[in-house]
Amino acid sequence: MKILHYTLVSLLAVSLVSCKKDGKTDGKTKDSLTAKRDSAVIPEVHKEYYGIYTGEFAGMEKMTDDDGSEFDGTVYKRISLKINRITEDSVYGQSIVNGNQRPIRGIFNETSKSFVLDEPGNDKTDGRFEVKLAGDSMTGKWNAFNKKAVKAPLKTIKLAKKEFVYNPNFMLDPDSNLVDWSNPKDFVEKYTDSDGKAESYTISKNRVASEAVFTLNASKQKLAEKDIKNLRKLDLEIIKNSVFARHGYSFKKETYRNFFEQTDWYIPVSGNVDKDLSPMEKENVALLNRFIKYAEDKYDSFGR
Amino acid sequence: MLLVKKNISICFKILLLIGFGYFFWLMLKITLEYIPLDPNVSFLMIKQTEVHERPEYLPFFYTHVYTSIFVLLSGFLAILRKNFGVKNFHRTAGKVYIFLILICAAPSGIYMGIFANGGILSKISFVVLGALWWFTTYKAYQLARQKRFAEHKHWMWRSFTLTLSAVTLRIWKVIIVYLFHPNPMDVYQIIAWLGWIPNILLIEYLISKKHI
Repeated sequence: MKILHYTLVSLLAVSLVSCKKDGKTDGKTKDSLTAKRDSAVIPEVHKEYYGIYTGEFAGMEKMTDDDGSEFDGTVYKRISLKINRITEDSVYGQSIVNGNQRPIRGIFNETSKSFVLDEPGNDKTDGRFEVKLAGDSMTGKWNAFNKKAVKAPLKTIKLAKKEFVYNPNFMLDPDSNLVDWSNPKDFVEKYTDSDGKAESYTISKNRVASEAVFTLNASKQKLAEKDIKNLRKLDLEIIKNSVFARHGYSFKKETYRNFFEQTDWYIPVSGNVDKDLSPMEKENVALLNRFIKYAEDKYDSFGR
Repeated sequence: MLLVKKNISICFKILLLIGFGYFFWLMLKITLEYIPLDPNVSFLMIKQTEVHERPEYLPFFYTHVYTSIFVLLSGFLAILRKNFGVKNFHRTAGKVYIFLILICAAPSGIYMGIFANGGILSKISFVVLGALWWFTTYKAYQLARQKRFAEHKHWMWRSFTLTLSAVTLRIWKVIIVYLFHPNPMDVYQIIAWLGWIPNILLIEYLISKKHI
């Protein structure tokens, strides 16, 4: 009985400790929330700078040429910095790039109109932003905390202040490049040379979307099966993800970033927009998901 | 010389047996995707319009799927024309084959053909295929009852080659997608016809050359 008693007590103690731990981490990650609650106490300054700054995030990365030689090339990504709150001694915001949404916190220097903003540091891709305001544009640089963990530890930043608005009419521009460069597939092709010897070689091909991605809008019309039956997987994926792009979803997959970053309306503002979708958009996404799965399972297999 | 010829024919038969076994196995796997009953799986994933708007679609669909696999097997066993020491084996297998087609597989196939993917061209193909399937099987049955076995055999081959279109159309699909990567419904329209026309032409040729 006594043993049982002790066990219970120690179990209780352990669970209490773990509760406390949970509470602590909660407080850390919800910095901006706590800040909101305190807003009555600490006065906010420079509300005019609040907003979303979107633009390019460029870094030199090692790349490999077709012939295998290495060279340094600039890789451009689209980044958004959100400035949510500025007080005398602190700035709160978020950085969003490649579907990675991070809280940022730092200081604002009034005389030089510059920010120094730090990501939390518990992710290997975290770093420090040092940016300067000039009118509606924000320029500067980003340094990774851990220089070894990222491909480009130093990146330059060129942003412009943009108002994020959801507009169901937004579509890919009709002059967009429709090639999906990020998923090349290798094919083995055979040919017979002049001596009659059969040779085979490997070439890589890229998927290309069809014109349907310019006409089918899953945010505006209820799609029926017949509308999308003859579409390839890439088309279905783009039509589906256009919905998410309109809501400012920051894509983790390069394919979708490449397509939507060609437009000027796409502003990645969040890593999760599921709750923002309209009921019709949700229905269309469910339908498109079914067809994407069917295309994956059945398009090239023995079956229907 | 005769011995060589006999050996070649045995080899050919073994190859056919292995080939049929392999594709029967693939067809069986496709059938098993619909067990347990799930109205939103596999082919039905892109048929939800029919599933929701037409209450009779699913019963016809399942009738077709579940009986056709037995049609394929019994048809193969009957076309061998051997009793394997079992009394009336050929007759029984043949009866199972004929009645499953006449009552279940062909009528449900025609119904599904009316709602086939790929537009009017594939609809026509599948409805005509279903009608021919029923007719050739019925004809073969009649001729057997009249004991006109030579003609019975011809019509049975016509019927069975249409049965095998289930396999050949799926083989064509894999080949065409591999070679040309067309849009899914364009593949559908092509294989709807390619699945059975060459089959029936081949059988008609073999019959006219008296190979069957």
